[in-house]
Amino acid sequence: MKRIIATLLAAALMTATAACGNGGGADSAASGSETPAAESASPDPAAEPSEEPSSAVESGEQPYAGTTLSVMLAYGGAEKSFDAFTEKTGIAIEYVEISTGKALAQMQAEGGNTTADIWFGGGVDSYIAATELGYLEQYASPEAAAINPAYSDKDGYWTGLALVPAGFLVNNDILAEKGLEAPKTWEDLADPRYKDELIMASPAISGTQYAILNGSLQAWGEEKGWEIWKGINDNVDFYAKGGGEPGPKCCAGEYAIAILAMTGGTFALEEEYPVTAIYPEDMIPWTPAPIAIFKNSANKDAAKVFVDYMLSKEGQEALREADARIMARGDVDVPAEIGMVDTEKLIDQDVLLFGSQRETMLEQWATMAGEKDA
Amino acid sequence: MKQASGRVHRRPGRYLFFSLVDKLLLAAVLLGIVLFILYPIVSVIATSFFNRGVFTLENYRSLFHAGNVKLVTNSLWVAALSSGLTAGLALCIALYAFVSKGRRRAFVQNSLLLTMISPPFVSALAFILLFGRRGLITYGLLGLSLNPYGWQGIVLLQTVGNVSFASLMLISSLDGIDARQILASRDLGATPLETLLHVVLPAVRPGLLSVLFLLFTMNLADFGTPIVIGGRFRVLATEAYLQVISTANLGKASAISVLMIPPAVLAFVFYRRSIGRAANQAEGAKSLGDSAYTLELSRPPRVVLFAVVGLFFLVMALKYGNILLSTVSNTASGSLRFTARYFQELPRSQWSSFRQSIGYSAAAGAGASLLGILLSYYAHRRRLPGMKAVEFCASLPYIIPGTFFGLGYVAAFSHGPMMLRGTAWILILNYTFRQLSVSNKAANAAFSAMDEKLETAARDLGASHMQALRRVLLPLLVPTFLTCFITIFTSSMTAVGAVVFLISPGKNVASVELFQSIENGRYGVGAVQAVCIIAVTVGVNLISMWLLRRFQKAQKGDAYVFTAHRPL
Repeated sequence: MKRIIATLLAAALMTATAACGNGGGADSAASGSETPAAESASPDPAAEPSEEPSSAVESGEQPYAGTTLSVMLAYGGAEKSFDAFTEKTGIAIEYVEISTGKALAQMQAEGGNTTADIWFGGGVDSYIAATELGYLEQYASPEAAAINPAYSDKDGYWTGLALVPAGFLVNNDILAEKGLEAPKTWEDLADPRYKDELIMASPAISGTQYAILNGSLQAWGEEKGWEIWKGINDNVDFYAKGGGEPGPKCCAGEYAIAILAMTGGTFALEEEYPVTAIYPEDMIPWTPAPIAIFKNSANKDAAKVFVDYMLSKEGQEALREADARIMARGDVDVPAEIGMVDTEKLIDQDVLLFGSQRETMLEQWATMAGEKDA
Repeated sequence: MKQASGRVHRRPGRYLFFSLVDKLLLAAVLLGIVLFILYPIVSVIATSFFNRGVFTLENYRSLFHAGNVKLVTNSLWVAALSSGLTAGLALCIALYAFVSKGRRRAFVQNSLLLTMISPPFVSALAFILLFGRRGLITYGLLGLSLNPYGWQGIVLLQTVGNVSFASLMLISSLDGIDARQILASRDLGATPLETLLHVVLPAVRPGLLSVLFLLFTMNLADFGTPIVIGGRFRVLATEAYLQVISTANLGKASAISVLMIPPAVLAFVFYRRSIGRAANQAEGAKSLGDSAYTLELSRPPRVVLFAVVGLFFLVMALKYGNILLSTVSNTASGSLRFTARYFQELPRSQWSSFRQSIGYSAAAGAGASLLGILLSYYAHRRRLPGMKAVEFCASLPYIIPGTFFGLGYVAAFSHGPMMLRGTAWILILNYTFRQLSVSNKAANAAFSAMDEKLETAARDLGASHMQALRRVLLPLLVPTFLTCFITIFTSSMTAVGAVVFLISPGKNVASVELFQSIENGRYGVGAVQAVCIIAVTVGVNLISMWLLRRFQKAQKGDAYVFTAHRPL
């Protein structure tokens, strides 16, 4: 009896979610994500992984209909792309927003006995740590062939969904008031004239900020790199306790310059505040936003369908629609919402070093930052 | 009562039944404390001693360096200063209410109850908005650019944030003073001010000490305020939290949290000893609150008290006005712009999280109030051996940092038969046991103000312990239950630290959603969520207050009820 009720409930729930997706879901994102889906379905015969069984997704079968996947989400706005997936596969998505650092602490406390199936977005260093702790499932998605291997784990424990580039946000009012020019390069930030006008997150807390530190040190080399960071450190009043803080503080005029992740949301601030988002001219640090399946997942097959979808051209376009980023697939264009980003300037870096160097690098950072970085 | 005891004499079977219930209740209280307080705490501390299954002291060795000494002294200094300031201000407000009558008193008391509802983070953000480097007041009006980040900001916000709670507790303590003492003092020729200084203040000392203790532990464990306003000033609670989320090393983080236990325990011991010495309260004291007499202070002290109250309400108006303003506006470089965007940007899980928040908090409010009263009953009425230690254990979740207690739940309830992760139970239980100390202390105060002879009489007439509890004590404790319920419901609705690690897909709560908005820099959306939390909590508080008043009206004339109605 209980089972019947449960099935009925699940069915009702599914129809409800499907209905929401169909009805344009009241928000523009749902209807927006349908457009690329329609596009890629017909004029895209060149979809490479046709030899793989992932074609269940493409052929319209729904072998996992009724399954609910549970997602730990650290990818702002991504949830808007889930409806399209549910509609297509019948797999419902339940998610909770949780920063990767918190998620990792939780996994450690529960000894890897996670109740979630998918880890979606966030700091790649946490994914590397989770891989080492044995919490992630190895899965080489057939779709990963279209993705630059530099964005993913070499053993397939996690795969890059998108690239998050980093840059500056400057408050034009404050710069004008102080008679300062906007910084153009990372080295500019170390100039003493910006003293106390800089705000950035602690690299120990923010995955993006850590990626900036690590990437720039890989590009500059340790010696020159630390010297520049020392100059930047002198200009910072204190380090914010999360990657979300610098943006609003710059908008409110508390600080003239913020260092942050450049997403569609960053550029959208320009319309509302007297701020400008700037890509540094010398180099653009970046970090992959990964996706992974938990080893403890009870729905691994459905989870694989989800990962395949998110890495497919269709899924990538839906995800780009939900939150504008540089997508991991080479055949998905860079969205216009994130400004004119020169992809040539993206740092040529080894992402796996983010994991192995983390502890020593952050220790060195803590020694340098001292009290400023709590 | 007499009827009940009479029946018992004739029916020994029923007596046995009650004795069984008695034992079951005691077992439930003890088992609850062991399973949901000690076991999680031990589980998380264990992670600091083991590295992948191998025993190690490495995590503790790294703790002992100069930087961490500074961390401890910073935390103690800030917690002590804010607690002292809060208690001072609260005492003024409570005295003002104490010497006022009728509407004025009711107004102060109700406003205090409402301003007790303070969602985390948003008041710190409101403060930055008003008084920050580009604050609307400091910069916009006065042309100053002040740096709000640092210990001053923490002290100011913690002080302002806790004044309502502390004032309410002190008002209850003041109401518990035996009115006959005050009347005697006046009859013997002391002026109202002298009476206040020499009779009222000494009598309120135990209340003041418990308030100070609670404030100190709350401030010590508070991570929400320092994380927003602390800047480069480091305190233990924030450090413990940030260690958890920044190092991929739970053991080290848990070792830092262990550092917070000794100061909190010391404060507790100090509190117990001072309370013990000062407990000269007359049993069955008659409150001044319900007598016709008012202590008429002369003009100067009254003006001082009134000024403090006025200032406090001004600050509160600024705080809540500002949070409301933040829901429809943003500040760009120190000027204000209006927008309706934040309402549209609320996360889609907002309403289900809200419903869950209300349900879980109400369940925890009822559960913790009941458990706290029972615990207090077994410890102080039945005086069972070892109950002092049990009470101390019950107060542990309140004095250790919330994140630490939350991780303990994750560690304890992720495996085997006690697998609670991913269920609503883990949230409800966490809320319940985290606040057990509040209801326990409130019940202790209520019991000490209730004449024990009532119960002895019932026992003499043949009632069992359970019958005396059910028929005599519990009816008198209804107001205590309601007050505890309000307090625990309110703190659960706004709690973040402990439950941040316990949410799971589909089992989220409103306060954590608020935290996520703040973390992601969506301050406007956060303000809308905060206002929703305030509105719901105010609603529930008003209903409970109405119930309380109705109950008191029904019991009018019974002095015990009035003295029992004190949170501490």
